[in-house]
Amino acid sequence: MAPEQSELLKDLNADEIQRILAFGTRYTLPSGASLFHLGDPADRLFLIERGRIRLTLPMQVRGREEDVVVEERTSGQTVGWSALIPPHKFTLAATAPLETEVIALPREELRKHFAANSSVGYQVTLNLAVVIGHRLQLFQAMWLREMQRTVEKHSA
Amino acid sequence: MEMFLMVLCMSMFGLAVTAIAFGAAARPGSSSSPVQPELRPVKTVPPGRFFTDQIMPPAAPRTHVPTEDLLRQIENHVRLEQAAAESFLESPSHAQLHTKTTSAFVN
Repeated sequence: MAPEQSELLKDLNADEIQRILAFGTRYTLPSGASLFHLGDPADRLFLIERGRIRLTLPMQVRGREEDVVVEERTSGQTVGWSALIPPHKFTLAATAPLETEVIALPREELRKHFAANSSVGYQVTLNLAVVIGHRLQLFQAMWLREMQRTVEKHSA
Repeated sequence: MEMFLMVLCMSMFGLAVTAIAFGAAARPGSSSSPVQPELRPVKTVPPGRFFTDQIMPPAAPRTHVPTEDLLRQIENHVRLEQAAAESFLESPSHAQLHTKTTSAFVN
């Protein structure tokens, strides 16, 4: 997928997109590679160009800590938006289950660019709000479904 | 007269023996008698439940699922739940929110 079609860069014109992408560094992650760990400083956010990223959280399974997948993101999507949200620490771990290409956008450069170009910053912030809002609504619905099952189990 | 006094003494003695025996029987607390079992507090006994204790068979032990299979079940469960949540977000309704899952993890 072309970076222009990324959910984060939606509704920006080609020049604006190129100026943002100029800050980025392209990485190719081999299958099984880690992109970031839970609790790491979030100094970059990532646009997925190709492949897939698994977002996981640790869970105790039979006395052993296992990374359980909570979400998967694919090309055109964004991971690591903790880079733009204080306290700038990753709240999930990210790995590539197959060879994956990402563009890493450094927080500090983005912040300066948005400060100097407020309309671009506004649009990217709106796009990011959609990504975050979707995650929130999704997990809200999932949480309620689990709660409903718990209630049914307890009142059976 | 002697007869009357003897009967009176016997009656008094019988009454005293009866009173001592009654007092010993009614006195709370432990008895040193070897035939008296020590009573335990009853509050450790779980409360009885109607029917379930008698009729329900003991829960069968869960079949041991290998950890790898369990993790796969969890992952599959998360995928199914996300798909259900996505469907709810596309057309929010009570029915969409509470659709039943086919996930082996919870069934």
